[in-house]
Amino acid sequence: MKQEIVNNPDFAALRVVFDAPGEQVIAESGAMLARDTAIEMKTSLQSGIGAAMKRKLLGGESLFQNTFTATAPGQSLWLAPAAEGSIQCIELQPGMELFLQSGAYLASTPGVELDTKWQGAKGFFAKGLFLLKAKGAGLLWFSSYGAMHAVDIGASYAGYIVDNTHMVAFTQGLSYDVQKVGGLKSLFFSGEGLVCNFRGQGRLWMQTRNPSSLVSFLHPFRRVQSKS
Amino acid sequence: MQHLIKHQPSFALLQVQLGPSETLMAEAGSMVARSHAIAMEVKLNAGRNAGFFGKLKAVFIALIRKLIGGETFLVNHFSGPSGGQVWVAPALSGDILHLPLAGQRMLLSAGSYLASAGEVDMKMRWGGLRALLAKEGAFFIEVSGSGSLFATSYGAIQQVNVNGTYIVDNGHLVGFDSSLDFNIRSAGGGLMGLFASGEGLVCEFKGQGRVFIQTRNASALVDWLSPMLPG
Amino acid sequence: MQINLLYQPSQALAQCWLQPGESVLAESGAMVGMTPNVQMQTQSGGMLKGLKRMFGGESFFRNTFLAEGGGGEVLFAPALCGDMAVLDCGARQWNIQNSAYVASTMGVDVHTKAGGMRGFFSGAGLFMLESAGQGQIVIGAYGALEAIQVNGDLVIDTGHIAAWESTLTYSVGKSGSGWIASWLSGEGLVCHFQGQGIVYLQSRNTAEYGGAIGPMLPPRKN
Repeated sequence: MKQEIVNNPDFAALRVVFDAPGEQVIAESGAMLARDTAIEMKTSLQSGIGAAMKRKLLGGESLFQNTFTATAPGQSLWLAPAAEGSIQCIELQPGMELFLQSGAYLASTPGVELDTKWQGAKGFFAKGLFLLKAKGAGLLWFSSYGAMHAVDIGASYAGYIVDNTHMVAFTQGLSYDVQKVGGLKSLFFSGEGLVCNFRGQGRLWMQTRNPSSLVSFLHPFRRVQSKS
Repeated sequence: MQHLIKHQPSFALLQVQLGPSETLMAEAGSMVARSHAIAMEVKLNAGRNAGFFGKLKAVFIALIRKLIGGETFLVNHFSGPSGGQVWVAPALSGDILHLPLAGQRMLLSAGSYLASAGEVDMKMRWGGLRALLAKEGAFFIEVSGSGSLFATSYGAIQQVNVNGTYIVDNGHLVGFDSSLDFNIRSAGGGLMGLFASGEGLVCEFKGQGRVFIQTRNASALVDWLSPMLPG
Repeated sequence: MQINLLYQPSQALAQCWLQPGESVLAESGAMVGMTPNVQMQTQSGGMLKGLKRMFGGESFFRNTFLAEGGGGEVLFAPALCGDMAVLDCGARQWNIQNSAYVASTMGVDVHTKAGGMRGFFSGAGLFMLESAGQGQIVIGAYGALEAIQVNGDLVIDTGHIAAWESTLTYSVGKSGSGWIASWLSGEGLVCHFQGQGIVYLQSRNTAEYGGAIGPMLPPRKN
């Protein structure tokens, strides 16, 4: 299978060209743009209802995933996330782990396993910082709202603080604390809310935009529900 | 007339240099800036050879669309005796595609028209009963004639050369050559595929020709945002 | 302060390097990330200034980022997708559409200015920002930014203006020949700039974007 990501960081799309029949890509529901007619699409609750429910509730991902299977060489498939932004491809190898913010998962090949890592009280406090853990062997594609800015901690930086609405993914080897920046006044008035302070050795990806700002911008443009 | 498309694909801006008395037609509301010497006039886009009833129909469609949104079929004509510059952009983030027309016909999904110059004819075309089932695209715009057409998208535009059959999610369709046959169907995978795949209905193209797809879809954006909205 | 703009034009990010002990002022909510030695403090700069900013469509508070015990890095981005630009202040001074402000160095005074009736009719808000002093301002736009050198006259849709040099004079008027034609044309109001100077126009208009997506969202309660 060959893959190509086009239009990063604006409106990234993933184009996969299959080399052999039987090759598969699993994608988040609703991600397909276009495909060869003969590629088979099957909708399923990936890895059983229990795991799917857990992912839906904790990981922000959809309950259903679509599996696309090639039936002949040379067939192509186009996928894209919902938000305006980028796609990143990572080749996972056995022993490697990647943590993704809920909603960042786009697609993967069958060797990649996904699980929700419960963040405990710390995760709960940092609203919405539920993480999916990806491991196994294969290709994993994840997406962001905005461009993805990568920082190598332990190499170019000793540590890095990221606003938690801008966090996308990080590799194993990094640990973080959820903190507030500034004093108490800052927590309520700075507009910055909570941040994650990362340490260790690994790569951190942040997104240059955050969905909550978009939501606040659009709110006044929504229709008002009628009283009745 | 010379044109330049800048800032592709996300925030494309069309910059047009008009010669003396040359005219650019652009979708109502799309002007960003213009030279002071260029005048703007709003006109009904009824097609070149529209008779009285054709014009009446165009007025009716224009009014309805002005009220419900989408293309107004009112276009602004920009021109000036000594020429000048005009900048034009669509409302949503996205790309601008230049399609030179030399007698061939193309179909664009409703909402894709941005601007045109020369002898370009446009007609609204009903996409058929099944198109109604789709969230987007009960209407297509049929363009023909000769000149320059500028289409717009939500997302980047990618060209797919179809030779055989190809499926495009109907929310991601920008336009296609009229040499292609098309048909609206389920994305596949049976009932489960229709209701749970998130793909809904798709357009299946047959034959040979170009299909232009957009890499984002406004209703997917809405679905993504909805769970995050305050009450 | 050194500023490096990344991911232009759609998802622009301003990477700012601070000298030890140097600080930068930013609009609240603009910080994306920073090195751990950067300290953030929230200030209103006085009740009156804060309130004036609030009326200008900005937030009451602004944040100061200070690099302690060494050089530091802060990343800033505007709220919506779009471009950023760095405006040099000193020999040139600028008028800035109030929502375009992202950050500024400490030597620049960015204050709210009543746009008067002209501003009111322009739809760009009753207030706008005006710069004074020496230093740099980082602005953010919705859409790509295009710097246009005005040499005489230029007409711009009011929703597409991000910033302009204070040497330019402007007046606001309707776009078409009459009010009905203006309404049908969908162009609403335009700004007519005259003189010599730079105008930054943004290739998209927030009101049109909100007007297109907002009604597609589920309705709000109030």
